[in-house]
Amino acid sequence: MESGPSRSTAGGWPERRDGYAPLREYAAIGDGRTVALVARDGAVDWLPVPDLDSATVFAAVLDSRRGGSCTLRPTVPCAVGRRYLPGTNVLETTFSTARGTVRVTDAMTVPDAHLTPLRELQRRIEGLSGSVPMCWSVTPRFGFGSRPARIRTRAGVPVVSCGADALAVCTWQAGRPQCTPSAISGRFDTRPGSRSLIALPFAHEEPLVFPARAECEARLDQTSAAWRRWLGERTCGGPWQEAVQRSALALELLVFAPSGAIAAAATSSLPEQLGGIRNWDYRFSWIRDSAFTLGAFLQLGCPREAQAYFWWLMHATQLTHPRLRVLYRLDGGARAPERTLPLQGYRGSAPARTGNAAAGQLQLDTYGELLQTAWLYAQAAGQLDSDIAHRIAGMADLVCRLWRAPDAGIWEVRSRPLHFTQSKMMCWVALDRAVRLADRRLIHTRRAARWRQERQAVRDFIETRCFNEDRHTYVRAADSAEVDAGLLLGYAHPDESRMRGTVEAVRRELAHGPFVHRYSGDDGLPGREGAFLACSFWLTEALARCGQRAEAADLMDQLIALANDVGLYSEEIDPADGAFLGNLPQALSHLALISAACALTERKQR
Amino acid sequence: MSATAALAGGLVGTLVLTTMLRAASQFRLTRIDLPFLLGSAFTADRTRAKALGYLLHFALGQLFALGYYALFLALGHSSWWLGMLFGLAHGMFAGTALVNILIPLVHPRMGTPFTSAPEVALLEPPGFLMLNYGLATPIVSLAAHLAYGALIGAFTSLAA
Repeated sequence: MESGPSRSTAGGWPERRDGYAPLREYAAIGDGRTVALVARDGAVDWLPVPDLDSATVFAAVLDSRRGGSCTLRPTVPCAVGRRYLPGTNVLETTFSTARGTVRVTDAMTVPDAHLTPLRELQRRIEGLSGSVPMCWSVTPRFGFGSRPARIRTRAGVPVVSCGADALAVCTWQAGRPQCTPSAISGRFDTRPGSRSLIALPFAHEEPLVFPARAECEARLDQTSAAWRRWLGERTCGGPWQEAVQRSALALELLVFAPSGAIAAAATSSLPEQLGGIRNWDYRFSWIRDSAFTLGAFLQLGCPREAQAYFWWLMHATQLTHPRLRVLYRLDGGARAPERTLPLQGYRGSAPARTGNAAAGQLQLDTYGELLQTAWLYAQAAGQLDSDIAHRIAGMADLVCRLWRAPDAGIWEVRSRPLHFTQSKMMCWVALDRAVRLADRRLIHTRRAARWRQERQAVRDFIETRCFNEDRHTYVRAADSAEVDAGLLLGYAHPDESRMRGTVEAVRRELAHGPFVHRYSGDDGLPGREGAFLACSFWLTEALARCGQRAEAADLMDQLIALANDVGLYSEEIDPADGAFLGNLPQALSHLALISAACALTERKQR
Repeated sequence: MSATAALAGGLVGTLVLTTMLRAASQFRLTRIDLPFLLGSAFTADRTRAKALGYLLHFALGQLFALGYYALFLALGHSSWWLGMLFGLAHGMFAGTALVNILIPLVHPRMGTPFTSAPEVALLEPPGFLMLNYGLATPIVSLAAHLAYGALIGAFTSLAA
């Protein structure tokens, strides 16, 4: 369970600009299949169905007019406070008005023993004091707002259907639903002790299930209990326990339960720069994140998630073996064609996209990440299946052939390929882990001599071409002058002076207070981006591993304070005003937080 | 017609079916691995799952061969092309109902569209026509089942 008081902040009525809420104001709820974003003003502005990587039914966060949403709020001015119910991914929002107080509990429910809808969004409204006039509206827009839907009433329940998709709007004590051709809405007043419920069951390629009220109420309570039970089995200690637990819960939201894959984020096309074109679909599983993911699962005491993720990883990469794609779909597919959506984009940040063209890039670091993942898994499990061992050896052979090639690097730049230092470092990691696995006889040993030889060649390349003697730092790419925060993930032992020099160079050239930018050079795209949160946590971890514990702990405290009111992080943050940028919640940010907290806690315990 | 011949055809047919699927996997056409899917219903140890899965797969191959034999008896005729026709129906059943719907229901480690947090599946669900395991999976699976059926039909008719 989460220790200490759960985050709950109260503030005035959240303002929207051009119909858009600040990204910082979104909380995420999910059921292990999909994730919805709920704004502080009570609007559900993002929900893909049936799965996290499906098309959306609500996408007002990408187009306030055409995207679709599910709003629920008082009709009078109010202050808003909210939190997650302790130890859960169930959101509780409290609206305080001059006429009384009302509490809304939002959840994507998980199935129980009853006939359960394929997916279900529930919103429970409880009157706490006085009488609060409430209004709600469901404006569904299937297929990213591109597919027309029909609204009809069936068995007294408003039903929206669109091809193979449908949703119903089941309400109890929430006013008489009014249907128009494009929306269903209602109004009602709460009173002390009143309890209203709005449930949206979804169907895909099957008939809709109309749940009974008692079943809905029970399912909502069971959903909270299931999350608490899950968190209760995790091992999250240390001074940043609350943040680590929230990060664990956020990660669990991004685990696609039917396959074990983990999505990089729950959303698509939230901009890295307002009004810019850096808007990408992150609803895929990146190989780059694999080692962080497996490491975090093991540190949190999630062996089942770790095993499921590794199995999924090895299945997904089978079709492209020995080559790796940069990312895979959550169902294990390798294709992710990029296309533009018919949406305005968050506050005009066009284009909004689905799919990701980075899938076809050459990123050499992925091999290091995957072999590091296999190494972590083998250490935890004590063995590797013979098929997997054969494939790991095949990948190490491929790295021997590929490492001399330029690539797009960990940051997936769209400029010309370069000899990125971090990519070479991860090639070294790939060969080093292959050698270690061979030494333990977990994979075939007959090619280990070549792996050793190439490992040394990679190291020679890095030490001669990728290190700037004058500035005493590794640089972004061979023979370049820039630094790169990705180097904080460097292969060498942190006590080595070259890594210390690199950590100092990153702090000097890329960090401003707690904010760290990824790199300073060109990436082939116009515009600038915000500070990359994962890099800030990597800097924290690097400082801790270099023995600068006090500075690391201070930086960690500053970073924890940068989370939003419910403890979530996006990909990036604007150092000027603290605004969230990029997709959210972002797995890499939360993974880096867990890793940094564990590194600091380890050091404290020594 | 002889049940023994049908069983012999079933044994050879299963061998050919398994080899075809395995070869397709080696050629990166599909990620399907039927023995692994079957065996992992009983153990999470991958190596044991595969060994057990092969045994179960061959046992099921024999069971289906007896089913084919019963159909040959009912029709009073057996031939390689009739067996191939049964194989077509068998392959379609496997892709649309057996592996896609029935196995995930009883397989304790396989995901379904209803698998939800905080549970997590160890095996990804096959999806319609097993397309989650690669776009060529339905073609490969159908071809393998056609061969399986043709071999049972051929063995049964030759022994008649």
